[in-house]
Amino acid sequence: MADLAETGIKTEVKTSRSIAASVFYGATRQATAAIIVPALGLLFWEVSVAAGWFSGRLMPPPSRVLATLWTLLKSGELFNHIGITTARVFFGFVLGTVTATIAGAVTGYFGLARRLIDPSLQALRSIPSIAWVPLFILWFGIFEASKVALIAVGVFFPVYLGVSGAILSVDRKIVEVGRIFRLSGFTLVRRVMMPAVFPAYVIALRSGLGLGWMFVVAAEFMGASEGLGYLLVDGQQLGKPDQIMAAIITFAIIGKVTDSLLMAAAAPFLTWQDSYRREG
Amino acid sequence: MLTLRNLGKTYANDVRALEGFSLTVAPGEIVAVIGGSGCGKSTLLRLISGLDNASRGSVELNGDVVRQPHPLINLIFQEPRLLPWLTVANNVGFGLAEIEGEDRRQQIELALKKVGLADLAQRWPKELSGGQAQRVAIARALVTQPEVLLLDEPFSALDAFTRADLQDHLLGIWDETRPTLLLVTHDIDEALVLADRVIVMRPWPGRILDEIKVDLPRKRDRTSAAFETVKRQLFKALDTSLQLS
Ligand SMILES: Nc1ncnc2c1ncn2[C@@H]1O[C@H](COP(=O)(O)OP(=O)(O)O)[C@@H](O)[C@H]1O
Ligand SMILES: [Mg+2]
Repeated sequence: MADLAETGIKTEVKTSRSIAASVFYGATRQATAAIIVPALGLLFWEVSVAAGWFSGRLMPPPSRVLATLWTLLKSGELFNHIGITTARVFFGFVLGTVTATIAGAVTGYFGLARRLIDPSLQALRSIPSIAWVPLFILWFGIFEASKVALIAVGVFFPVYLGVSGAILSVDRKIVEVGRIFRLSGFTLVRRVMMPAVFPAYVIALRSGLGLGWMFVVAAEFMGASEGLGYLLVDGQQLGKPDQIMAAIITFAIIGKVTDSLLMAAAAPFLTWQDSYRREG
Repeated sequence: MLTLRNLGKTYANDVRALEGFSLTVAPGEIVAVIGGSGCGKSTLLRLISGLDNASRGSVELNGDVVRQPHPLINLIFQEPRLLPWLTVANNVGFGLAEIEGEDRRQQIELALKKVGLADLAQRWPKELSGGQAQRVAIARALVTQPEVLLLDEPFSALDAFTRADLQDHLLGIWDETRPTLLLVTHDIDEALVLADRVIVMRPWPGRILDEIKVDLPRKRDRTSAAFETVKRQLFKALDTSLQLS
């Protein structure tokens, strides 16, 4: 009987592995298919500019964008801009995440707090966040504080919604297990609620981080002399589309890298998750 | 000694789930509660376990009134309800928060051995079959050495083969320390294989309809004539209960 169960489990593991494998190969094939059209487009553009059909002044060919990227990289200028922008996102993300986690935990856990605070936060959420810019400049000046504040606002709402929603939807059945073992108050929160909401929390942090990268651009449009957003504005004002595109590519890369770092940091705590396949 | 006095429960939606339920269960006794769906069986166990409070009447264990989860009473649910973020060993040790180190490890190992799963200590719950998961749930309840173990249709989600296996297992475990078992089931054979007494419930509101003694030595032969006689008796009582619902 025990043997039977053992083999049963082994086959199960094997099938789930081969499912994962086929999903992986399927995804690779899909990625290959997805890349064909943009690759052809880039190639076409490169060739047509080289052949002199278009000037490529406003739409620089890939080679020119890469060359600009290389120049910026070699001079160390790019790292400087990346460093400044990342620091702004970092501080805004930390500030937004900490406040959102506290607010979300309080409103998710205490019904009274939810009735008192949540409606106001939902109302604030419906304001387009960019609308805060003039006010933040008046309040915090045009330097770092107003930028960090704007990013923090952008990060706040997805994290807040994620945390309070996750707490509200913790399975009553699992909370009852805690209660049967006479856990209550903070011990129940620490041993049952916190681990139960952790996967949803990671997702909330990821969308918060994504919005952080979005809002840093808006923040740097407010007037900055350094940062990737400054490269965008500068490129527009001096008519350097290759520089704009180089900055956009850099945004895409560091956005993806920071997201992957976040996932990698959370992964060891999520091995227990019983999902069809792990997100990549 | 577990004593239920005139236990009643009316839910917030005015459903009278339980009414005038009185029962005394001696230490080490096995009592099965049987009845159709909606008879208030789960409500009964939730009141005894202290998860919910009674609207009327009281639950007493050795003279102490039980109003909230009690250290000597544990409840096993229909689903295993393992905590997915803990390994099997840590699920079993969930109730041993104050005990640490070697002592804790030994108690967990002992409980897992009792349910025959010592090899799976480091697995995640997602890697267990339904029967294994329910056995881990039993080990988790046993590890705190409860005096009263409540079971709410614990084997109903399992296939017949695994179910019979776990019933034998439960009897073996019971025989070691002789806790009081109060088992809710809708399986007639299960009640008759395990229990000293079978309480038949009727619905609207949930209360006791009949009580049948099973005076057969364990381990019971399901095919014996005596077993068949008690089974017929129980069938008749259940028939009445179903007609009332
Ligand atoms: N939390 C609840 N709120 C309102 N009504 C409930 C609740 N739980 C159970 N009931 C009702 O109480 C009755 C008894 O339910 P239950 O104890 O679960 O029965 P059983 O376990 O015998 O199937 C049912 O009519 C059910 O709908
Ligand atoms: Mg039930």
